[in-house]
Amino acid sequence: MAALRTDSGWRPAAGARFFCTAGRGLEPFLMREVRARLAATQVEYISGKVFFTTCSDLNMLKKLKSAERLFLLIKKQFPLNVSSVSKGKIFNEMQRLVNDDPESWLSAISIWKNLLELDAKEDKLSQRDANPLKRKVEENDIINPKKLKTKQMQELQESRECQLEKQTDEATVEQGDFLTNREKSQEAFQNDAVKAVAAPNQKDLTFRVSCRCSGFVAKTFTAQEVGRVIGIALMKQFGWKADLRNPNLEIFIHLNDIYSVVGIPVFRVPLASRAYIKTAGLRSTIAWAMASLAEIKAGAFVLDPMCGLGTILLEAAKEWPDVYYVGADVSDSQLLGACDNLKAAGLQDKIELLKVSVIELPLPSESVDIIISDIPFGKKFKLGKDIKNILQEMERVLCVGGTIVLLLSEDHHRRLQDCERGGIPWNSKGSHTDEPGIEKCLNPGEKTDLSDTVSSSAETSGQGDLDKMPPFGSLVPVDRYRVSLGRTGAFICRYRKSPSSAASRLAAVSRFQSSQGSCTALKAVVSGSR
Amino acid sequence: MKLLTHNLLSSHVRGVGPRGFPLRLQATEVRINPVEFNPDFVARMIPKVEWAALLEAADTLHLVEVPKGPIEGYEHDEKFLRQMHHVLLEVRTGPSLASLAGHSRRLPVLSSIPSPFPAGGCAGGHLAVPRVWTSVPHQSRDPQHVAE
Repeated sequence: MAALRTDSGWRPAAGARFFCTAGRGLEPFLMREVRARLAATQVEYISGKVFFTTCSDLNMLKKLKSAERLFLLIKKQFPLNVSSVSKGKIFNEMQRLVNDDPESWLSAISIWKNLLELDAKEDKLSQRDANPLKRKVEENDIINPKKLKTKQMQELQESRECQLEKQTDEATVEQGDFLTNREKSQEAFQNDAVKAVAAPNQKDLTFRVSCRCSGFVAKTFTAQEVGRVIGIALMKQFGWKADLRNPNLEIFIHLNDIYSVVGIPVFRVPLASRAYIKTAGLRSTIAWAMASLAEIKAGAFVLDPMCGLGTILLEAAKEWPDVYYVGADVSDSQLLGACDNLKAAGLQDKIELLKVSVIELPLPSESVDIIISDIPFGKKFKLGKDIKNILQEMERVLCVGGTIVLLLSEDHHRRLQDCERGGIPWNSKGSHTDEPGIEKCLNPGEKTDLSDTVSSSAETSGQGDLDKMPPFGSLVPVDRYRVSLGRTGAFICRYRKSPSSAASRLAAVSRFQSSQGSCTALKAVVSGSR
Repeated sequence: MKLLTHNLLSSHVRGVGPRGFPLRLQATEVRINPVEFNPDFVARMIPKVEWAALLEAADTLHLVEVPKGPIEGYEHDEKFLRQMHHVLLEVRTGPSLASLAGHSRRLPVLSSIPSPFPAGGCAGGHLAVPRVWTSVPHQSRDPQHVAE
């Protein structure tokens, strides 16, 4: 197989095809990321997965930030026809997934081995003997097809992801040493590699099939049945042995109404589970997506005035290091947790933490370039008045032309929309729909959601009201994205501070000043602005 | 906290004007924390620096070799950048800040560097919340008030 052997890692010269799972709503971010980070081509988003082709090596693939899991694609084709009466016929169709084109399986496996082998060579030099640790990772990692229930893929993955993250956290707490966490992920990566190397000959491969069914397929079959059929077909076709506990190779199959997809997970640990984050608050993929929306440039002053455990700042500082980051919170326990996180990630020099309140920021006006924040959800956080105060203070400290990116619960978002009545209407196109593929591929359900909210705001904001001041002075909404947080949904909203209202506010200030009798002050304010 | 942070903070008092009052340092703890030198980053921070406040802070902390202001072509002057790097990013004051002029506004601050001193910091001990505040009238940085 034609390949480029470079120092960084093996890369498929002609490009290999992958797919990623992503949290609902993060797909546009992922599509943008694979293009930017991996120079990906043939990028498609179909029903919860983003498919793409890239020549990148394992190290670059590891860096994906808005994806849940990454798979090497073996096969993607039309959904199984389950309208046939005979179950046997459908089983035959499933077997054909394996038997029709065994070459595609073998070449995918060859790419997989190449991707991971080089890693094994590098890491062997620094390999630490930690067998008990290794076993612990694997034991908890088993996806036993027998246990699989037929659920929506998203939910199952999320709970698995959470489980894995919890395992990682627990192990870390037990070990009492952050380094173990990072090494554990490295161990996991090494595990993949060691297993790949350990199977010198494809005949000796051991495998395990993990299967998800949704839609009509799920009504007819259980995941176990499908897994069994595929497993037997693989054994017959390639002579591999099944190993549920500790296989070399994992095969992932997803059958639904839209496609049948088969792939090989590239990493044991989901990409969403970061080695450098000790205790995650907000989901790391969403935190990164928010930071990516903020257009952070070198030398910027970035503030998170309700930073909690600091997840957003950690993600941002890892990606955009030459930036001045400040996090603030009123909770001692959260700040201590954030402090731990910073130390564990080695970022304590990059991020400053302050115990101050978001409604009383000790910052001069217009001194912050970017604000990114996860507005706390929950009953203890009063809606309405608080949100307004918070936004007003954020607006005060933000530079003209600066960007604010907020994560808002559905309640907060609705409240803000009511406030925006009479303000500048949402641009109903929004910048995230400039992907022509997205319009076609979005689930009908999701599309209705977005257009529902867009049309309701269009209704409430009167057409003739453009002269009215938006409620937050100069904050102009730019775009927003609905994302899933597991059980609930939320909105990532981006605002920009426009200069246009600055003039009208200066006018208001001057009126105040002249009523106070100091006209010279106005000239000073106008000319003295930084 | 870093001196850069102290420099960028100010006590915002409504109605007083956009710049507010600079925070006077009542430093009880000072330490130097080595940080990797990144000339680009330092150069980008220079325009944000409030020099009067910086020089006063440096004075309070008895720092030496502090540039008095940005020099011509500072972006390429390694000596200048290294000095500024040291002052802004490596000098840390403990978690105590005095608040301001005429308004005794408390401003407890948590430093992100674990304090080797017995009280406070992130070492898992309790936070040091300063109990003594000076309310010495202080020159505001707002140009409006210079005339007065």
